[in-house]
Amino acid sequence: PCRAQPKKKKKVDVKREQAQKDRMKKKIKKLEKAAPEMIPIEDFVTPLKYSDSNRVRSLSPLSFEETERRVLLMKRWCLFKQKQDKAEKKAIQTLVEAQQEALKELRLESEELYQAAIRRDEGLFPFERDGPNYTPPLPGYDPPEGKSVDITKVYTQ
Amino acid sequence: AFLSCHRQYRSRPTHGIGRFKYLLPKEASKKRKEKVQMKAINFGTEYEYGDINIQMTSYDLCLVEHFAQYVHKLCNQLSIRVNESYAMPTKTNELLFLEERGSKMQVDAVLTTHQRVVQISGLSSTFAPIFLEIIQSNQPEGVHLLVKEHTEADFKSRLKSRPELEELLAQMS
Repeated sequence: PCRAQPKKKKKVDVKREQAQKDRMKKKIKKLEKAAPEMIPIEDFVTPLKYSDSNRVRSLSPLSFEETERRVLLMKRWCLFKQKQDKAEKKAIQTLVEAQQEALKELRLESEELYQAAIRRDEGLFPFERDGPNYTPPLPGYDPPEGKSVDITKVYTQ
Repeated sequence: AFLSCHRQYRSRPTHGIGRFKYLLPKEASKKRKEKVQMKAINFGTEYEYGDINIQMTSYDLCLVEHFAQYVHKLCNQLSIRVNESYAMPTKTNELLFLEERGSKMQVDAVLTTHQRVVQISGLSSTFAPIFLEIIQSNQPEGVHLLVKEHTEADFKSRLKSRPELEELLAQMS
């Protein structure tokens, strides 16, 4: 049985494998050194077609009555919104106060229940809710068949 | 033109007369690795939630932006600490529908889904349901609300994928 050839194979293989592993480790270290980048958000980049053209909107001058009407309308709207906001804040405050009072009463009743009520609710998160719709869904509506294809641009580093 | 002299004059009492940079506040270095997320401590009796993500998704960009701003202002007013308020990358969907007479898929529309995230921490357990109630009552149409705890996977979904690194790591192991 010849010995020379299998011995050479073992040495060369081991050396080659080690060299390969070292090269891979070096490459990995180099790639890992670079900090991971965030995906750029397309919302914050204005598309070029809105910046090149020279179209400028020319507004016709408004009459005095129109400007007065607009200013007064704006003031009435501001007042309305302020009242709405104050009512909301008041509602929040009453809610919080009522809650605190209820907790105080509960504490006087029994300490155990109070402790259990103070604890955080594990089942609260994750919380999901769909927004309200402009129109309710039509009963008996047969939508056409189709599919949606995801064409988001994939960024790689 | 004479150039200004920056000689030291170390023996004179006027040494270092023009120095001012040591008085300015220190600028943080720009190149920083992204920090890992934090987790709040759970106290004994009064529990506080850790990092919570309020994610708002919708097809309408303006609505989502305005709602995110509203939630941020609300948190400021209610003195809830806001860690971050960022946007997730937009997703584009191309909708195809099957024509009535024919087997071709007709391109119907291209919709973009936008998502904004407001990250809060330090929400007390008694106030959390009230807070959720307020947000729900002010939710605009078409905006999908999702409130969940912040995980590392959420953080990593914002970063770019590195296929070469992943390939090499897969080869190594």
